[in-house]
Amino acid sequence: MTVLGLIAALFTIFIAGFGAALLIFSRLERINLIECACLGWLFGGGIVSLLLWVCGIFCSGLLLQAIVTLGCLLFGIVGWRAKRQSKAKFHLPKPADAAEWILGGIIAVQILILIFISFKHTLGWDGLLNWELKARYAFQNGGTIPATYYSSAGRLFSHPEYPLGIPFTELWLYLWMGEPNQFWVKIIFPLFYAVCAPLLAMFVVRLSAKRRAGLLIAALLPFVPAISASQGGIVVGYADIPLSVFYLAAVGYLLLWSRTDDSRFLIVFAACSALLPWIKSEGIILWGVLVLLGFVLALVRRRLVQLAASIAPGAILIFAWRVYLRVVHLLPHSDFVSPSFTMLRNNVGRLGDIFRILFTGLRETSQWSIFWLMAAVALIYLVSSRKLERVALAFAIIIPISLYSLTYVFSGWPSYTAHMTSSVPRLLLHVMPAGWLAIGLALSAAKREIQTL
Amino acid sequence: MRWRFYLHFALWSALFAVFIWISAPIVGSSVMENRIGPAETNASIDTYLRALTGIEHASEELPDAFRHLGRGGRIIIFVRDENSQSKFIGMLIGYVSWPREVQIIVVSSEAVDQELAGIQPGLVAGVVFCSVSPPPWLQNRIRLSSKIILVPVTESTP
Repeated sequence: MTVLGLIAALFTIFIAGFGAALLIFSRLERINLIECACLGWLFGGGIVSLLLWVCGIFCSGLLLQAIVTLGCLLFGIVGWRAKRQSKAKFHLPKPADAAEWILGGIIAVQILILIFISFKHTLGWDGLLNWELKARYAFQNGGTIPATYYSSAGRLFSHPEYPLGIPFTELWLYLWMGEPNQFWVKIIFPLFYAVCAPLLAMFVVRLSAKRRAGLLIAALLPFVPAISASQGGIVVGYADIPLSVFYLAAVGYLLLWSRTDDSRFLIVFAACSALLPWIKSEGIILWGVLVLLGFVLALVRRRLVQLAASIAPGAILIFAWRVYLRVVHLLPHSDFVSPSFTMLRNNVGRLGDIFRILFTGLRETSQWSIFWLMAAVALIYLVSSRKLERVALAFAIIIPISLYSLTYVFSGWPSYTAHMTSSVPRLLLHVMPAGWLAIGLALSAAKREIQTL
Repeated sequence: MRWRFYLHFALWSALFAVFIWISAPIVGSSVMENRIGPAETNASIDTYLRALTGIEHASEELPDAFRHLGRGGRIIIFVRDENSQSKFIGMLIGYVSWPREVQIIVVSSEAVDQELAGIQPGLVAGVVFCSVSPPPWLQNRIRLSSKIILVPVTESTP
């Protein structure tokens, strides 16, 4: 029964997201089935967790589960009808030659291996205490987190202020399985990887028109040790890989929108960027970076009005979560002190240590191999190309890393260096897939671009 | 300008080769380590508590022990400063004792007496010491494992 419930939970998530993706792409003649499936998982997780949160304010138990299930099915049905009415056809991109078949096969095997090894590990510290804990408490309370949890001083260690994207996706699995099962719940994390690899390949292909480069980059992705062999990776159930996949999707579709002016890409960007702050608190910084880059791209392309509409969902979600935390009387707690000019002046001397720790982290081969060296070379390629989208991608990697580092100026820990050492590897994960996109575009640089280097 | 293309090709080939050369053993060993399962409800929390305290099925055993303390009253959990294992055990106990209110106090060995003196018996159901030695004068100790000691709090104690 547990496994049947798990399948039903995954199915409903996927149906909701797939329906939403079909709604967006229904007016295309040919709908890319792999793209729709990938977005199906990303959108589905967002839809289910948001529905559980919003509907959970008004009801709980079986009624809540029934309403959210109906919502999921409704998305699926509406999306399917839209696709049928527009007479769009599904299209499954197939490898064109032996090399593409081999690379595609390697990617498929890698996904299966990552699903397999996820079940060999326990949930990590954060995976258990920051994310799964919320899912369990909500499950035990009929699908909603009790208000007393937010004001429980003894459980501040579990960061009640963190958003509910991942915990409520886990909760959905628990509701269907009928028990808070810490073994099966780990399935959701490799599924984010299973979405990341094809999306990465697709973005490289669409932005460079070179399929082999896209497939090669996706095949190299899991060789970053941090994905499978360190804190924050897929196997320990942290939110960092899911956040990085949403960031990759948001960046990729923003660049595609800039290049093509296709409003469908902007809608996907709006959805993926809006879900960033819903996955992890740092998502607000990533969302802010995308808003800034989007503004620059829109200004150059003279599409500011369209962009403004796409920012609204993220802004509303950030605002709604802040209001909710206030309503449930969240106890004030943060690893950072409130930023002020006085604090900045007092702590500016930290910058030397901060950047020393950052560069030490980037050079850590046991976590990154030489990934960041390759990313640095790729950034030189992108900036040298002087193409708007490629330069924007470079800044989509550089700005978050810089901002993340600067936040430690305001660290409230007794030792800001310990704070940084313990969290920087996970923060770097957030831009890692976008770094691979940069490498893919650098690798497939046109001859003319190579000559400008 | 064809040499630039060859240089480009050679550069990325070399980078990818070094990348895989360094990564493959690390990723390979992470793929090979551990075994699957068990597919139990509390697989993660039980594994941690078994490894850290030796208690089997701790996610059930610990709440059972706390249930004997009565319904009301918070649990105070003492954990040792600069001991991440002790702190982690304290958090795991906080996790499994939901919905009871908990208070985690980080102490050095010398400060335990001082903290205990401030406890109001009516509000506290029990005190848990995680890798922290209780003061010698404290009675009614229940040793849950080598690292966890529970002391029920009654009106007359501490």
